Amino acid sequence: MYDAGEQPYLCLRIEPVLAALQKLWKKVFKPPEELITFPELFEHFQALLQDHQKVMEIIADLGEKSGGDYVFDRKYLQDSVNELHVLLLHLIKGLNLISSNRYPDLYTTLDRIFLPIDAELRGRLSLAAEMPYVVGLEDLPVDHPELTGGKAANLGEISQRLHLPVPPGFIITTRAFRYFLEQNQLEDRIHALISAWLGREADTLQTSRQLQYGLLAGVVPQEVGREIRRRTEAAPFWAVRSSAHGEDGELSFAGLHESLLQVPARGVPEAYKKILASLFSPEALSYRRQMDMLGEEAAMAVLCQEVIASRASGVVHTLNLEAPETECLTVYAYPGLGRPVMDGRAQPDRLVVERQAPHHIRSREVFPKEYVVRPAPGGGEEEVTPAPEERDLPAISDATAQTLARLAISLERYFKRPQEIEWALDQTGQVWILQSRALAFSQISDFPPVEVADLRERYSLLLQDQGVVAHAGVGAGPVWVVESDADLEQFPEGAVLVTRYTAPWLARVVPKAAAIIAERGSPAGHLATIAREFRVPTLVGVEKATGVLTPGTEVTVDTNNRLVYAGRVQELLHYELLEATSFEDASEFRQLRRLLKRVAPLHLIDPQAPDFTPEGCLSVHDVIRFVHEKAVQELMDLPRFLKRFKGAQLWTLVSEVPMGLKIWDLGGGIDPAAQGGEVTAAQIRSLPLKTLWEGVCAPGVWSTEPIQVDFSGLMSSLTRTTEAATAAGFNLAVITGTYLNLHLRLGYHFNLVDARMDADPHHNHIYFRFVGGVTDLTRRSRRARLLADILAKYHFKVDIKGDLVIAKILHLPQEEIRRRLLVLGHLIGFTRQLDMQLKSDEDVPAYLAKFLERLQPLVDLEGS
Amino acid sequence: MAQNKLRVLILDDEPIVCKRLKPSLEKLGFEVDTFTRSFEAMQAVEKAAYDIIVTDLKMEGMDGMRFLQEAKKLYPETEVIVITGFATMETAKESFKKGVFDFIAKPFNLNEIQKVVQRAADKIRSAGQ
Repeated sequence: MYDAGEQPYLCLRIEPVLAALQKLWKKVFKPPEELITFPELFEHFQALLQDHQKVMEIIADLGEKSGGDYVFDRKYLQDSVNELHVLLLHLIKGLNLISSNRYPDLYTTLDRIFLPIDAELRGRLSLAAEMPYVVGLEDLPVDHPELTGGKAANLGEISQRLHLPVPPGFIITTRAFRYFLEQNQLEDRIHALISAWLGREADTLQTSRQLQYGLLAGVVPQEVGREIRRRTEAAPFWAVRSSAHGEDGELSFAGLHESLLQVPARGVPEAYKKILASLFSPEALSYRRQMDMLGEEAAMAVLCQEVIASRASGVVHTLNLEAPETECLTVYAYPGLGRPVMDGRAQPDRLVVERQAPHHIRSREVFPKEYVVRPAPGGGEEEVTPAPEERDLPAISDATAQTLARLAISLERYFKRPQEIEWALDQTGQVWILQSRALAFSQISDFPPVEVADLRERYSLLLQDQGVVAHAGVGAGPVWVVESDADLEQFPEGAVLVTRYTAPWLARVVPKAAAIIAERGSPAGHLATIAREFRVPTLVGVEKATGVLTPGTEVTVDTNNRLVYAGRVQELLHYELLEATSFEDASEFRQLRRLLKRVAPLHLIDPQAPDFTPEGCLSVHDVIRFVHEKAVQELMDLPRFLKRFKGAQLWTLVSEVPMGLKIWDLGGGIDPAAQGGEVTAAQIRSLPLKTLWEGVCAPGVWSTEPIQVDFSGLMSSLTRTTEAATAAGFNLAVITGTYLNLHLRLGYHFNLVDARMDADPHHNHIYFRFVGGVTDLTRRSRRARLLADILAKYHFKVDIKGDLVIAKILHLPQEEIRRRLLVLGHLIGFTRQLDMQLKSDEDVPAYLAKFLERLQPLVDLEGS
Repeated sequence: MAQNKLRVLILDDEPIVCKRLKPSLEKLGFEVDTFTRSFEAMQAVEKAAYDIIVTDLKMEGMDGMRFLQEAKKLYPETEVIVITGFATMETAKESFKKGVFDFIAKPFNLNEIQKVVQRAADKIRSAGQ
């Protein structure tokens, strides 16, 4: 399976060898002052690889914990962060030792990354300087409701994660609010006024008036005002709404704060102040006192969105509150702008629609429209009386109601709670989501959780106790098995995605899935990460799932108990939707997700890119990537390498396979009788290198024929050539009698093999790392998957991330290590140009079979 | 499951632990009470017996080790499961010496604890027969 190894992959016992060699080395050569000796350098490099791996494991572990299957507390987060910090300090120190201190800036980078993480863990509102005053909805940092307020945070998620249509706009953040208070010297004044009010020295109305006056008389700071003006140029009219921190979260401030519609662009800064002032309206003050929230600082973010000149607008409740058991939702609709409905002055049409696709309309009530509100030609709104023949027309068509139902259910699936959704239909017939928040309803009854034992009596189980939870939850829908691109194209909204692999190209259907079951993969894998991002209940490593689950049949996936039921388990779905608390909203999970954002994403992909620098590192992952790349470069840097090796014997391997391999023998790796600068394969005494080479040179492995490249493969290879051509370094093997460390750059691939073949199995290991390659990422990850499949057949523990494959195996007897090094030798030859030939996912099993068949006589594993 | 429900007490000063554990055990048919303060849990134990206690060790006020000792003194047949973020051999040994049923290191996965609680329940039920 593809799970991460539980042990660090390198248990090298090269220290004694190195120590002896070092002595010898020092006797024979006097190393130049500025350069550390190669054995030392190599030792640092090995330590660095180990730390790198540990960091990767912690990152994977944090990711896994964010899936909801684990119970963790703040101590766990604190411990993990501390451990990461120590490891990174080590790594940076290691790189600086190797590189004669060329990267001192990395320490600053580390502070830049870890200071906010620490602040985050201490639970402080992290409104550090990096947070913007004004930010576009499309760039909104999600999981930061303290910066943007709940309403805007929701909209950010809707537009960025679910890709649903949200009117364009921007948020004036809580940081801008604090800056506003600071610039206008309002903080102390507000504090004093509120204290007096709480001490009953002043009445609510008077306090409110004084507070609001202070805010309204304030001046919007220049930077903020400039940014608002710049952004409001995009449209003539704006909706300006409150998005206070805490609002739309567990507490509902619905209606307490101001919302201004049809604000002309010029008027937005004034409107902004009005919204800020509404934070201290008499009602808002009383509400916060009642909720015991005055201890916390109030903070107001303000959401500005382009106004949709709507043909109709309204609200959807994803649960029919009058009959929750009917599996229907309710659509309210009214012609024109939303004002009449929001004010409660008009009776909107009411449609009851089935929650399940294809969303049949169950009932429809159409009321006469006495008046409608529409945008006035010169700005603002105007009320008009509809023509008599229009009075009794329905506000929206059935088709629109069904579109709304589909959008509403996908919102509910994501937020895991019944939703109340404000929407607008524009003149072209496009539906826009204006807002989505948890629907407030009184708990129907405090019924206890549905007991698994009861459900098992009523429903048949298709799968149980299988797989690992990647994201916890319950989801139901028809089974949809994805085996080809066509299956992906047609993936229906709300289906259960069943797949053999957890490949990255599945990502685009994840948001549509009600649940995911994969036969392979690990909770640390790519698909798991995506599933967590979109909160889709996911089980991975469920063997034979595609055999058991029949396409088209309804199933209910309950990852909490690792069960898959036949049919829709309505009582369980109801319980999860209405009663269960969703873990995603717990503060620890939010905290972990925010933390992961500063830890896990990899931004530095291309070592040739101009931002491949300490300053360019934005996450922990970036830092270790940078350190690793630079460490390898140091090791491979030709001029310095030669300087280090001045006088050292560096052999060139003469072989029918033209690899230009240089060999440095630390002892016992080359036949003592070898003369001159060249050796043949027969003169290699190093067991691992000898074996690997045997694999590479086996008949038919190293194909010298030109390889057919199809057009798209070629185009992509052309665009990547520059990078490959400028990549520094050459192929080097560092060996002893039983040890091999091999760096190979073949064409566009980069292989690293580190292996030991000792008489004592406990000393033995193979570590294999494979990365890079021509062609686009999809093909490269296809190849990565094929490699992973092959390596898994030989019991390697394999991790794949995009096109990076890391495989390791530990503590095997010499003969077993030998078999696997032969396989690696084959693989190195085999994959040289493989990705050009792997044109579709269906090709993977065929290639796998071909490879295994060819290997069979050579490395028979049946006996192992 | 026609039998009487077994009663489970959960004590952990981190509310998230209680919040997650309660429904996951209720689904298995247990009756669950949760506490974030040890003295309140103690009061509950004094009032009525619990079949199974799941407790953290490190807490303010009365720590978990003392709490489980006191509870065991009152009801020796209560099975205690310790969950802790400070898992060392020492604490594990000490817990087992105090007659703890099992010891789980935090973070743990829900399935893991469900299984341990189920085992404790099986033991209680078979003893009662």
